Amino acid sequence: MWPLLQPTPEELTALWLSVKIGLWCTALIAIPGLVTGWLLARVQFPGKALVDGLVHLPLVLPPVVPGYLLLLVLGRQGPIGRWLYETWGVALVFSWQGAVIASAFMAFPLMVRAVRLAVMLVEPRLEETARTLGAGPLRVWLTITVPLALPGILTGLVLAFARSLGEFGATVTFVGNVAGETRTLPLAIYTYTQIPGGDGPALRLVVISILLALAALWASEWAARRTERFLGNPKS
Amino acid sequence: MLALEIELRQGGFALQAQLTLTEPVSGLFGPSGCGKSTLLRAIAGLVRPQRGFIRFDDTPLFDAAQGIDVPPHRRRVGLVFQDSQLFPHRSVENNLLYGFSLLPMAARRFRLTQIVDLLDIGPLLKRRPRYLSGGERQRVALGRTLLASPRLLLLDEPLSALDEGRKQQILPFLRRVRDELRLPMLYVSHAINEILSLTPSIAVMDQGRILGQGLFAEVIRQDHLLGLARSLGLENVLRVTVARHEPEIGSTTVRYDHHELHLPLSALPPGSETWIALRAADVALALQPVSGVTIQNQVAGRLMSLRRVADRMIAEVDIGVPILAEVTVKAIRDLGLTEGDTVYCLFKARAWQYLATTG
Repeated sequence: MWPLLQPTPEELTALWLSVKIGLWCTALIAIPGLVTGWLLARVQFPGKALVDGLVHLPLVLPPVVPGYLLLLVLGRQGPIGRWLYETWGVALVFSWQGAVIASAFMAFPLMVRAVRLAVMLVEPRLEETARTLGAGPLRVWLTITVPLALPGILTGLVLAFARSLGEFGATVTFVGNVAGETRTLPLAIYTYTQIPGGDGPALRLVVISILLALAALWASEWAARRTERFLGNPKS
Repeated sequence: MLALEIELRQGGFALQAQLTLTEPVSGLFGPSGCGKSTLLRAIAGLVRPQRGFIRFDDTPLFDAAQGIDVPPHRRRVGLVFQDSQLFPHRSVENNLLYGFSLLPMAARRFRLTQIVDLLDIGPLLKRRPRYLSGGERQRVALGRTLLASPRLLLLDEPLSALDEGRKQQILPFLRRVRDELRLPMLYVSHAINEILSLTPSIAVMDQGRILGQGLFAEVIRQDHLLGLARSLGLENVLRVTVARHEPEIGSTTVRYDHHELHLPLSALPPGSETWIALRAADVALALQPVSGVTIQNQVAGRLMSLRRVADRMIAEVDIGVPILAEVTVKAIRDLGLTEGDTVYCLFKARAWQYLATTG
């Protein structure tokens, strides 16, 4: 058999770890991202510009910077990290949960941006019509705003998942490169390129990464088409 | 019924409206951009005025002084937009049921089948809004609002996105809503003929202010509305009854009081009532009947008043109803006309326009 199709258990671990972290990251930011994107699109509140800036900061900073800030705050010596460890015995550093948090910070702005754009495209008078028909604000949000913004929300979730798969800098800075715990695909590829004879496994993981990315893209296309049909705008 | 007095500033636009509607169906008339839609949005609770109050049937919907602002979903005020605003992700049936299903049983005034029959939208129920024509969409939007059992129905230019033929198809449905459901309605339009098809009772609005309200024929004749009436060609408005048609010579004869007027051929059935309008500038005055002209109508009357407005004269002639004639100062001087004189008003048949049937 072609060696490219026979990943070692170690490589498979990296793959499943990446997928696990990606899914957890996406699940973690889904609701906060939806609410934040909607807030930025529709609601005027004091400090909005600040929130907007903070949310988008990870997008423009070198990923190492948020990673290091997370380490300062959530590390075992950090204010929150110490509290977590002393009260609950939870240590995020060197754990896959920490990797989820690192990639969540990096993926959050992408989710927020997609949602904000999608919500801005929802005709406000549809929401107003729903209000005059007797629906309260929350019901309008759930029955009109969110369904109509669904394609953008799905795009945001796929972008977040993809961002998490590709996360390197923040992860390696915050939770290190621990095989089986925080060594996701990009970290594994990097590691293999640093050791003699690692070219084969690295290439195999590269192919796996590409396949995974293509699968995510295909799934999002499929979901987008389904939702467009649900919204009554079939593409063709 | 509906009483309001509000001040609302939004961007560079200022609305200062005072309105008391007592008729079950009223029209709000004014040129595009005069603030009609903003006023409706304030009544529905979608924008908040800075000052004043809005009351419906003596319950306050909004009162700045008392800090009352009933949210739109509790006002039970239905609003139909010009472009229907159907929910694209719901079938026609689920659009219709959106507000209905939120109501407790006891609050539901109509049944789905009743509204579907009234608006003749049965065959559309399973369809998505995007597959409907403009007229169908508007009927569904109307039905959806009716099923939410509003206490007051606001219609914001509901026909202006439709072509003339479609308008004539929807108007009968609006009349059915008026006559069969007996729902208080406020119909907003820049097209006076649409309003007059539903009600003679109107409020006139321009530049963010209500300029007058009452019966159309009386309101539009008020002095301070002359400018607006002039720009719309509505200085002279008569309510007339169609007497007979003579299609072979392209003529329709209508009657008001004991007089007859010859107008262009119309499709209105004999015996029906309609409004007709004439520009003041299209009225000529003569000292005696004129022969050998194509002008079809010569009606004797008494010159009640002469007023100079800028470079022209506005003559008011009583021919059973007051008629305004706009002529040059020179013409009045040449004829030597003074108040109290008997004059003949000359109207070309084709200068009259039909405004609407009163259904």
